[in-house]
Amino acid sequence: MSKPTGPPAIVFDHATIAYGRTAALERVHGTVRAGEIVALVGPNGAGKSTLIKAVLGLVPVASGSVTVLDRRPAEARRQVAYVPQADTLDPDFPVSVAQVVLMGRYRRVGWLRPPGRVDREAAAAALAAVGLEHRAADRFGLLSGGQRQRVLLARAIAAQPAVLMLDEPFNGVDAVSQEALLGAIRNLTARGAAVVVSTHDLGLAQVSCDGVCLLNRRQFGFGPPDDVLTPDTLRAAYGGAALELGDRGLILAHS
Amino acid sequence: MIETLFAPFSRPYLARALVEAVLLGALCGAVGVYVLLRRLAFLTDAITHTVFPGVVVGFLVSGRAGIVPGALVCAVIAAGLFTAIAATRRVNEDAALAVLLTAFFGIGVVLVSRQRSYTADLTAFLFGHILTVDTTDIVVTAVVAVLACVVLVGLGKELLLRAFDPEGARAAGYRITALDLVGNMLIALVVVAAVQAVGTVLVIAMLVVPAATARLLSDRLGVILAVATGLGMLGAWLGLAVSFEASRGYGVRLAAGATIVLVLVACYALVTLGQSIRRVATRAAR
Ligand SMILES: Nc1ncnc2c1ncn2[C@@H]1O[C@H](COP(=O)(O)OP(=O)(O)OP(=O)(O)O)[C@@H](O)[C@H]1O
Ligand SMILES: [Mg+2]
Repeated sequence: MSKPTGPPAIVFDHATIAYGRTAALERVHGTVRAGEIVALVGPNGAGKSTLIKAVLGLVPVASGSVTVLDRRPAEARRQVAYVPQADTLDPDFPVSVAQVVLMGRYRRVGWLRPPGRVDREAAAAALAAVGLEHRAADRFGLLSGGQRQRVLLARAIAAQPAVLMLDEPFNGVDAVSQEALLGAIRNLTARGAAVVVSTHDLGLAQVSCDGVCLLNRRQFGFGPPDDVLTPDTLRAAYGGAALELGDRGLILAHS
Repeated sequence: MIETLFAPFSRPYLARALVEAVLLGALCGAVGVYVLLRRLAFLTDAITHTVFPGVVVGFLVSGRAGIVPGALVCAVIAAGLFTAIAATRRVNEDAALAVLLTAFFGIGVVLVSRQRSYTADLTAFLFGHILTVDTTDIVVTAVVAVLACVVLVGLGKELLLRAFDPEGARAAGYRITALDLVGNMLIALVVVAAVQAVGTVLVIAMLVVPAATARLLSDRLGVILAVATGLGMLGAWLGLAVSFEASRGYGVRLAAGATIVLVLVACYALVTLGQSIRRVATRAAR
């Protein structure tokens, strides 16, 4: 899968990311370019969410640097959209699907002003892009987990970001919903957005992404999927259990 | 019946009480929706208790006129303090709130207990005296109501995002602590506005119950806001009328503030009951 890629959108330069004094993730080094989808993979606690939060400017970079759209992460926020895991949100919250998607427009609307017609139209178009326009009036919490995840993606699309960060968007999502999500994500990259997605699905990382960043408290590889997802690096990153990649699929073997 | 609802309020002191109660009902109903969405009932309770010593000190220093300024100082300190505690995330928030709540409340009680008219004053501070509110009290409440409108309309979308998805709001570049400070200050001001009329203890019910009732009735934020505001006003009016009628017609003295709260709670109970009946009925119909 080779396609022309754009300018660097996110540059990690030997970045170490720490909560307080303990480093959660060390020496991340690589580039995500405009138009690319990069997968963050690694076992639980590897630091995937941590890396996403560093790009969002929510966790400080202790040494090295993270550069987002040529700026420091906190300064680039207006052009970065974040898709949290749907199950971290309260399903009882009285907010409609349309209202959630409209939240993606808030930063553009600015302080003290209500969203206008342009914003409503952008939100409606974003909801249509994930195929859920018929659920606009429903309460967010009434949707299934996969549908909620699609709504959150629509919220990010409505923000028209240059960089999109998704934290495990495919957890508990069926194959059809996953395809719908991926289709909408590819639409964004086709328009020049850079996308980073954390996932436990190595097959998805290999088949559907342009690059892979393999982590476990430090970086084990960052580059094209076929270079990173080799048995040796996977064994090194995942420890005891070794994973091997066949032609298209994965074989899990214990060493 | 109609007579009971309108006639009493031709007396000036009752008319003033009605204006104050209805204003307060609307204010508490609307701000209560914010309390509900942010799950701040306990923090609101803590603010009401920390305001108490301010009320007492204000009264000791300059009588009735000192109550609102005293409450205001304490409320602003409490709101700032609680926002800071929530922002550090290192301390256990509930425990910290509970410690401050009891400490401040204790200080207030100790101060009051040194007064000669101990019980009478204590009762007034805790439960208000809506029948003796004056024009100044109404003006204070009206000013807070205008401020609340400005905040809820001007920052409504940001407060909504923060309540629904704090991590997302932070990632979008919003300063959560600043938003929380505004919200907590608003709650504190509502408590100050309510001090004269319903006292520091009952205001929590006026904030929490109408919004909770409205939430039972609807999933839509706009509807919840409208219903909570309306219920707050209706409860205030009915409560006053009932308490007046009870004391005039039946010689039963019902504290006005507490009656308002009981009317609001009765609404909540009725709605809950209605919904259970409907649920049973639909199940039976299947
Ligand atoms: N707020 C925090 N404060 C301190 N340490 C944290 C915090 N959040 C995460 N960590 C630590 O950072 C490390 C990486 O966690 P992170 O959540 O980034 O992992 P992850 O790869 O997203 O895992 P998962 O697959 O389970 O989501 C873990 O060791 C975790 O204990
Ligand atoms: Mg994670």
